[in-house]
Amino acid sequence: MTKQEFLTALRERLCGLPKQDVEERLGFYSEMIDDRIEDGCTEEEAVLAIGSVDGIAAQIIADIPLTKIAKESIRPKKHFKAWEIVLLALGSPIWLSLAIAAAAVILSLYVVLWSVIISVWSVFAALVACAFGGIAAGAIFAVNGNGIAGGAVIGAGLICAGVSVFLFFGCCAATKGILLLTKQIALGLKKCFVRKESV
Amino acid sequence: MDIQLKRGLLDVCVLAAIKNEDSYGYQIIKDMKPYIELSESTLYTILKRLELSGMLTVRTSEHGGRLRKYYHITKAGLGRIEDFKDGWREVMLIYQFVTREDMDR
Repeated sequence: MTKQEFLTALRERLCGLPKQDVEERLGFYSEMIDDRIEDGCTEEEAVLAIGSVDGIAAQIIADIPLTKIAKESIRPKKHFKAWEIVLLALGSPIWLSLAIAAAAVILSLYVVLWSVIISVWSVFAALVACAFGGIAAGAIFAVNGNGIAGGAVIGAGLICAGVSVFLFFGCCAATKGILLLTKQIALGLKKCFVRKESV
Repeated sequence: MDIQLKRGLLDVCVLAAIKNEDSYGYQIIKDMKPYIELSESTLYTILKRLELSGMLTVRTSEHGGRLRKYYHITKAGLGRIEDFKDGWREVMLIYQFVTREDMDR
C-alpha cells in the first residue's frame, strides 16, 4: 500500500468525524510515513509499520468524545436555501420532537444503568447498617437480661455482615460491567454517526 | 499494568524525550524504543493531551521540502518530570517493602 492509498483509506473510514481532527491526524500519519522513508524504509514498509487502517480508525473514533461527533454530524454541510429554511421551520414540530425523544431515550438508558449501580450499592449499605445495628441491638438486649433474643439479633447481624462481604465483590463486578457497557454503547453510537456519513 | 498508571508513565516518558531539545514524532518513538514500545496512534493521543494541558507547545518547521511538527517542553512540563521523580522515590520504597520477603528467601 502506498502512502497516498493509506491516507485515502483512512480518510474514508473517518468520514463524519470533525474535519479539523481528521486533517490533524492525517497530517500526523503522513509526517510519520515520510520520516520513516527518510530513515531508510521503503514506502511500503513505512506504511506497514504504522499499522492497519481499520485498527487506527477504530482507535481514533474511540478517542474523540461522542458529543463532538454528534455535534459535527448535525452541523449543516452547506448553506440552506430559503425554501429549505421554511421547510425546516414548518417541519420543526415533527423533527424537533423526534430529536428530543431520541436524546431522551439515550439519557434514560444511562439513567437506568446508573440506577442499577446505585441500587446494588444501596443494598450493600443496608446490609452493612444491619450488621452494625444488629450487633449493637443484640448487645443491648443481652445486657438487659434477654440473652436468647440478644443472641438471635447478634446472629442476624453477623449473617448480614457475612452476606455484605460477598455482596461487596458482586457490587464491584456489577459496577465494572456496567461502566464497560456504557463505554460500548457510546462507541456503538459513535460508529452509527460515522457509518451514516460514509454511506 | 494498571491503565491509569501506564498512561501517567507514558506522559512523563514523552516529556523526557523532548526535555533536552525539541523533537518530532518519529524521533520520539525512536528514542523511546529501547525502553518502551509506543504506537503512532498512542503517541498522537499523548502529545495532544500534553499540548492541551500546557505541558508542551508545537511549532511547524520546514524540513526537506515538507512540513514537520516540533514539540517543545514548557515550564509546566519540566515541573511534571520533577513531580514524577519525587513521587517515584516513594514508589520505590513501597516496592522494596512489598518485595522484601522475596529478597530474604
